[in-house]
Amino acid sequence: MEMIERYTRAARWFHWLIAIVFFEMALSGLLIFLPWVPSGTIGMWTRLIHRIGAVFLVGAPAIFMLFAWQRSWDFIKEAFTWGKEDLEWLRAAPGYYFGGDPRMMPPQGYINTGMKLYRISIILGGGVFLITGFIMTFLRGIVPPAVFQWCLVLHDVTFIVAIGMFLLHFQLGVFHPRMDESLLSMFDGKVSGVYAKSHHGKWYDGVNNRDDDNSSE
Amino acid sequence: MSDKAILFNTTRCIACRGCQVACKQWNETDEVIPTEQNSVRSVNRGSYENPPDLSPKTWMTIKFIEKPQGDSIEWFFNRRSCMHCTEAACVEVCPSGALYHNEDGFVTYDKDKCTGCGYCEQYCPFDVPRLDTNIVTGVGKMDKCTLCTTPSLNRLSAGEEPACVNTCPTHALVFGDRDELISEAKTLVTGLQTTGSRVYPKATLYGEQELGGLHVLYVLTDSPGVYGLPENPQFPIAATLQRDVFRPLTKVVWLMVAGGLALNVLIAWFRQRQLSEENSHGND
Ligand code: HEM
Repeated sequence: MEMIERYTRAARWFHWLIAIVFFEMALSGLLIFLPWVPSGTIGMWTRLIHRIGAVFLVGAPAIFMLFAWQRSWDFIKEAFTWGKEDLEWLRAAPGYYFGGDPRMMPPQGYINTGMKLYRISIILGGGVFLITGFIMTFLRGIVPPAVFQWCLVLHDVTFIVAIGMFLLHFQLGVFHPRMDESLLSMFDGKVSGVYAKSHHGKWYDGVNNRDDDNSSE
Repeated sequence: MSDKAILFNTTRCIACRGCQVACKQWNETDEVIPTEQNSVRSVNRGSYENPPDLSPKTWMTIKFIEKPQGDSIEWFFNRRSCMHCTEAACVEVCPSGALYHNEDGFVTYDKDKCTGCGYCEQYCPFDVPRLDTNIVTGVGKMDKCTLCTTPSLNRLSAGEEPACVNTCPTHALVFGDRDELISEAKTLVTGLQTTGSRVYPKATLYGEQELGGLHVLYVLTDSPGVYGLPENPQFPIAATLQRDVFRPLTKVVWLMVAGGLALNVLIAWFRQRQLSEENSHGND
């Protein structure tokens, strides 16, 4: 069976590292938020773990960008490059994801409109988490109390949205019957030609042309 | 059971600061006084106030407010400490449940439970709680006035008045049932406004209505602003959002999202099966 590489080894390691750190941040944050925070020493550890996680959540992308700046730049550029086919995708998506006729879906590039939206929410949400978290950590008592209060509110709103987005991401990656090769591809980095053609038709054509060029040389 | 309170009558305060001393003595919140060879290191801050601010080890200070009055100045003395609000933002936002209202209506805390997050400090309309947290790790504890109800140092349960009240030589501080103190304070305010060698038309009672009622009541000779008190202290909107919107709604929202996604999977799975069956029939 024809297999096409979709995610490099570095990208896969990076994805799972971020997944673990995000889980850790979400869990420790949740305990503070609900508030089910264990009190006393364990509560202090919960907060400390949240802060240690933040170092990884900032450090891992920073290191990734340093070593793979071209890929990182593309990651951002792809997310913000929108065209007519994105509007078509938005129109066709509800039918498609509820199991309608897949032929109604316009062919997609390396990432589709939904993935673009997910990337944008990661970039924006990550930025808000980082800025508000930084202020709450290092500028408590230096900025006026109202600033701290609204940082906490923003941190909370972002958290509520982020968990919603994560649930969607998780559902699509793990459970959705249409995305049957999604989860595995984040482990072995490859998707089948059939999957690539049906889910990312434009990308598949591009890859094939490149291969054809290579073979004709 | 009726709430207790402290009444602070500013007209009787001579700013001796015996209350500050008694507070430290009883609550064992001594501060280390920096020394030099054969002396104490002192700083002139242009005021008789000392210490200059509340701290984890200073739960009460007397403020010295100076107002120019002709050639001379007029003193306004104010007692600065926890107001023990009925609608206490600190209690609402405390994630560990360390802060709570006790049976007398005072805002007290279980220091073992405190995780040092500092939300109470940031939401207090009176800027009272103080923390000794490490800025990087965030580890530490909060401290503030407990109205002498700290476990093992609880004067009230032993039938005693709070240390500051007990020591006050001029009875500027009195302790009692909140309702009785309010009517007493109202009589005092009316007296200040109408009788005596000097009348104070702006005299007011502070703390009766503010934030659902404070448990420290003030008889003031002038407007609260002159004493450095917020004229109209508010429960922070951000705390209302957390308490009344985010915490109750979030779980519902997430459950709805998760339910919707599960339903989506079921429908997609079902219809995809239908489609492939139709196709295979078509091929027959
Ligand atoms: C750069 C990243 C981040 C930094 C620096 C940061 C920092 C903080 C800080 C300082 C607090 C206040 C509590 C404390 O002092 O310990 C906090 C609370 C919280 N964080 Fe973060 N955080 C970050 C990312 C995240 C992420 C990714 C999530 C969730 C997925 C998250 C969820 C929460 C939640 C739910 C709270 C509790 C807010 C509340 O009490 O209502 N944070 N964070």
